Amino acid sequence: MRHVWVVSLALVSGAIGFAAEPKLSADRQINFDKDVKPIFAAHCVQCHGPEKQKGSLRLDDSTAVTKGGNSGPAVVPGKSADSLLIQLVSGLKPDEVMPPGKTEKLTKEQIGILRMWIDQGAKWGTAATGNTAGVKSSHWAFQAPVQHPVPKTKHPAANAIDAFIRARLEKEGTAPSPMADKHTLVRRLYLDLIGLPPSPKEVDEFVNDPSEEAYEKLVERLLSSPHYGERWGRHWLDAARYADSDGYEKDTGRPFAWRYRDWVIQALNKDMPFDQFTIEQLAGDLLPDATTEQKAATGFHRNTLTNKEGGVDQEEFRVAAVIDRVNTTGTVWLGLTVGCCQCHDHKYDPVSQREFYQLFAFFNSDKEADLPAFLPGEEAALKDRLAAFTTKTAELKKAVEEAKQMKMPAAEIKKREAVVATHLKTKPEPSKVQTLAAGPARATHVHIRGDFLRKGVEVKPGTPAVLPKPEKAPSTRLDLAKWIVSKENPLTPRVTVNWVWGKFFGKGLVNTPEDFGTQGQKPSHPELLDWLATTFRDEDKWSLKKLHKRIVMSQTYRQSSATRTDLIDKDPLNVLLARQSRFRLEAEIVRDSALAASGLLTRKIGGPSIRPPQPSGISELTYANSARWVESKGEDKYKRGLYVWFQRTSPYPTLTTFDATDSNVCAVKRERSNTPLQALTLLNDAVFVEAAQALAKRVQTEDARPAYLFKLCMGREPSTAEAVRLVQLLKDTRELALENSAEAVKLLGSHKPAMLDVKSKNDVATAASWVLVARALLNLDEFVTRE
Amino acid sequence: MQPLPNPMNRRSFLRNAGHGFGGIALASLLADDGKLFAGERDPLAPKKPHFEPTAKRVIFLFMSGGPSQMDTFDPKPGLTKLHGQKLPESFGPVKTRRGVDKNKLLASKRTFKKHGECGTEVSDWFPHLSKCVDDLCVLRGCHGDSVTHPESVYLMNTGSILMGRPSMGAWVAYGLGSENRNMPAFVVLPDPGGWPKGGAPAWGNGFLPTTYQGTLIRGGSTPVLNLDRPSGVSLEQQKRTLDFIREGNQDHLAVRAGDSELEARIAAYELAFRMQIHAPEVVDLASESKETKTLYGLDRKESAEFGTRCLLARRMVERGVRFVQLYCGDTNGWDAHSDLEGNHGKLCLQSDQPIAGLLTDLKRRDLLKDTLVIWGGEFGRTPMTEGTTGRDHNPHGFCMWMAGGGVKGGRVIGATDEIGLRAATDKTHVNDIHATILHLLGFKHTRLTYRHNGRNERLTDNAGEVIQAAIG
Repeated sequence: MRHVWVVSLALVSGAIGFAAEPKLSADRQINFDKDVKPIFAAHCVQCHGPEKQKGSLRLDDSTAVTKGGNSGPAVVPGKSADSLLIQLVSGLKPDEVMPPGKTEKLTKEQIGILRMWIDQGAKWGTAATGNTAGVKSSHWAFQAPVQHPVPKTKHPAANAIDAFIRARLEKEGTAPSPMADKHTLVRRLYLDLIGLPPSPKEVDEFVNDPSEEAYEKLVERLLSSPHYGERWGRHWLDAARYADSDGYEKDTGRPFAWRYRDWVIQALNKDMPFDQFTIEQLAGDLLPDATTEQKAATGFHRNTLTNKEGGVDQEEFRVAAVIDRVNTTGTVWLGLTVGCCQCHDHKYDPVSQREFYQLFAFFNSDKEADLPAFLPGEEAALKDRLAAFTTKTAELKKAVEEAKQMKMPAAEIKKREAVVATHLKTKPEPSKVQTLAAGPARATHVHIRGDFLRKGVEVKPGTPAVLPKPEKAPSTRLDLAKWIVSKENPLTPRVTVNWVWGKFFGKGLVNTPEDFGTQGQKPSHPELLDWLATTFRDEDKWSLKKLHKRIVMSQTYRQSSATRTDLIDKDPLNVLLARQSRFRLEAEIVRDSALAASGLLTRKIGGPSIRPPQPSGISELTYANSARWVESKGEDKYKRGLYVWFQRTSPYPTLTTFDATDSNVCAVKRERSNTPLQALTLLNDAVFVEAAQALAKRVQTEDARPAYLFKLCMGREPSTAEAVRLVQLLKDTRELALENSAEAVKLLGSHKPAMLDVKSKNDVATAASWVLVARALLNLDEFVTRE
Repeated sequence: MQPLPNPMNRRSFLRNAGHGFGGIALASLLADDGKLFAGERDPLAPKKPHFEPTAKRVIFLFMSGGPSQMDTFDPKPGLTKLHGQKLPESFGPVKTRRGVDKNKLLASKRTFKKHGECGTEVSDWFPHLSKCVDDLCVLRGCHGDSVTHPESVYLMNTGSILMGRPSMGAWVAYGLGSENRNMPAFVVLPDPGGWPKGGAPAWGNGFLPTTYQGTLIRGGSTPVLNLDRPSGVSLEQQKRTLDFIREGNQDHLAVRAGDSELEARIAAYELAFRMQIHAPEVVDLASESKETKTLYGLDRKESAEFGTRCLLARRMVERGVRFVQLYCGDTNGWDAHSDLEGNHGKLCLQSDQPIAGLLTDLKRRDLLKDTLVIWGGEFGRTPMTEGTTGRDHNPHGFCMWMAGGGVKGGRVIGATDEIGLRAATDKTHVNDIHATILHLLGFKHTRLTYRHNGRNERLTDNAGEVIQAAIG
């Protein structure tokens, strides 16, 4: 980190020249109120006073002055030469002259007064003492959430969410949209809760169920689907900046990173309460009698980048990882941009640089530990392998002994010894999990201007003063985790429900889910946010599934997403939620949807990361060995997108093309862009072409094929116009295929219909045209959009 | 700009366009094929910078691996005098990648001569480029923050040694948009031998929207990933398919008026199709004259490959691409830990004529005046020897040069100490170089910001001073 300001040389030398020779009468008695306080008031207190405490220093308070700021005590009574205050105002430290920059410097006489004041004991006058306690803020997010009464509305509301939303709509003189049709609803629910499109059969089951409970039954069924954990796990993995490699030059693979990913999936499927979910990920290793699973949960903070290249300053990158752990914790749970305080006090929020390093202290003594952790069935198998290994070791060693006893030639003995050495390297190892564990205690200092080499005062673990304090002084990660989910913390439940809300409506009630500070946006529906937060925490005991259910059961969620002319001017950004939002599916879900429609999808949960086909010219050009892309075979090739190996220096292109996060820093929301490269991917990428081939093969065995094909993709029957267009495309492309049969046959790939006669021009043209039509449907906006 | 080659596509587009596109947008599209259609929600719509720029586009020639300053553009007679001795103690402790600080000093084997009217000294490894010195502004006092490759590659490309921040090309695409949507705004031409250390994040979008990431372009018939139609799909079938998609999406839009994302998706398909037509045309050098090809060294086997990419760079900036980055040198590239003479000699032979050709060609086409060309690696090399024939990494002092785009040619700014170890006078940190590049493009570097996780982020983070001597 480079310094923000530079001091002119002239100034420094001038000041030094002076500092040695104050022209003051040596026996003058300094009066603080008369002589010193005016100097502080005129030159210092603007930055080091009641308003701002830059460097955590204030000069309007006696206790604070001797205690000093981030660089240590400002004044050592009786010793002006040792006092930082004098060293800085007189320019003895060229990098840190005070007042800084172009501000007017102290005169020789003023510096002389300060020196004498200190040498005479730095006695304080009548000015305030001990006045520095307590940081207060009236900012909404730092106040405790209150469970507001559910408002009364003219039109009765189905649940509390609707009452809050509708009350606002009525106030604004507008009405909600009608409920979306059943086809849209079933597809919306499937995509939002499990991230897969419904099959035609699943659509029919819901659409043809006239009972009142049909919708709720579907919600319950999807929430208990094992795919729920995959869908919501992926959202959480964005926040956890999950990846399968280290980053930087070596970008070494992390063959066991997936154990954490699977922990997330399982925890969500079990509906682990969010407070426990939090505690285990931040400090599972510190729980009494921690299980391996709980330790695996700390893999959350093992997703930081690692720079293994020789020659890098390992301490610099250890510190960078700790900083990332602090920043990520701040963003994900507190919605606070604490990272701003790494180099200086927060410019806008009441969080100081010192407080940043107090948070840093919670993580500073941690070490990274890869622990053995068996996979199901592995232990027994490993035992056998170990036994075989031990037997073999004994055999080989015996051979060495024999050779020695028989006084064989030295070369032979050496050879046998080498065999032993080679063998020992093949000792079977258990699978592992990446965890965070408490290491030897390490003192934490403020890093002056964020530079890890410039250590300021030592700090102890602590939470920001603007938020309610924990009951007892916190010292461990576990204390921090418990405080984060304590009832006193106003932020965590708000931040969490807002994050969840954002996934169901395209954006949060606070549209800056990463920033609940004063620079973030205010909530559009503050009372609803608080109602959700308190209900989630108190009534639902942090159950994410209950929160999901409350949201998706609301009429607000079930509305049509169709744009309304009356809203285009009034509420173009859909803040009032008079309609649902429609948005493009995430990168992984785009691929999952194509695989699901085509029938290729492997629905197996969890396991090591996989490598689908990718175009050439990506991983073979990278330096990292682990990036070598060995395509997955068999069913692994068709596993869901969240299982795709994420190599940080050469990510799988389909993911980045469709706005997946880069996994280097935590992300609580994704951008959504539209680029030609996305169109090219859907049209031409091998994965999508294969999906089209399999999809075409799938429908050729069915009756009513065009309609069935359409329904496999969109979850609804085509309109008459759509059906006509589909058939026309089929006809046109078939005619074109007839013109060049040799080419057309290439289009069928490895998914040729069983009855196909490849020698028949007609057969080939028909089959090829089906592939083209399937491919066209996979490219429609509707296919990649959640309405 | 060439018209779309296929009138049928235009007709069908017209036929279907009535549903959703604004009339004005459509009119401008048809009036000016290949140029952007208006649309405030288009993230790549051309944007005006903060003030009138002198550079409208950038070609960054990235010498991957770190070329030696004292063997290229920074003659050091002082080093020759001290050849064979240890680093004098007066230089203090120095950190290098492989701890060569106790090794002996190694004089350059190159001879330097003054060239051009300005008399800038250039090593004899650049017989062609030395003829262009009156256009070059050589920065001899550059310095960075890390002794390792990936960190320094990230620093030079993203302004930070930490992985994951947006690259300069992404910032420029974000700030300026694109003049031509048949091609991406930010294009990267990696060395066919391998990517630089640190990989794709060097041209990544970081926290900026994906729209701004660098697009890899290769030679041959598939310059862009997934540009080729799948095996067995004819052009006619592709057109027919795209017509179907467009019709379907337009119908969809008709009942979803005002859905900007959907409009953008329709546009994206249109652009994808144009890219399929145009991108191969951009990389097709058939229309280039023999004389031009020779100018870029395409007739010599040593320089043909890099020359081809330099020529491609010209063809791209000609067609409105904002930011082109060329990597010279494979994954190891200029990283001459041993046999510096062999390593650099080969790479200079590979790149000297193509780069000179590029500058000459840009100039005669009147493009150099508003095209900024940058030359440099992620760091320089040590005056101390590594082994007996190599040099270690040196971020403490190295050189780069800029040309065109409003840069003052024929200048030398800054200097290293007498042996070339550290930047000594008029030092320019990488952040300063970024500030200067943004300035030439019309940006106040402190004001080109993007809000991310609650902070207004920028390419130059908290630092950066425009190098006034290079522009005024």
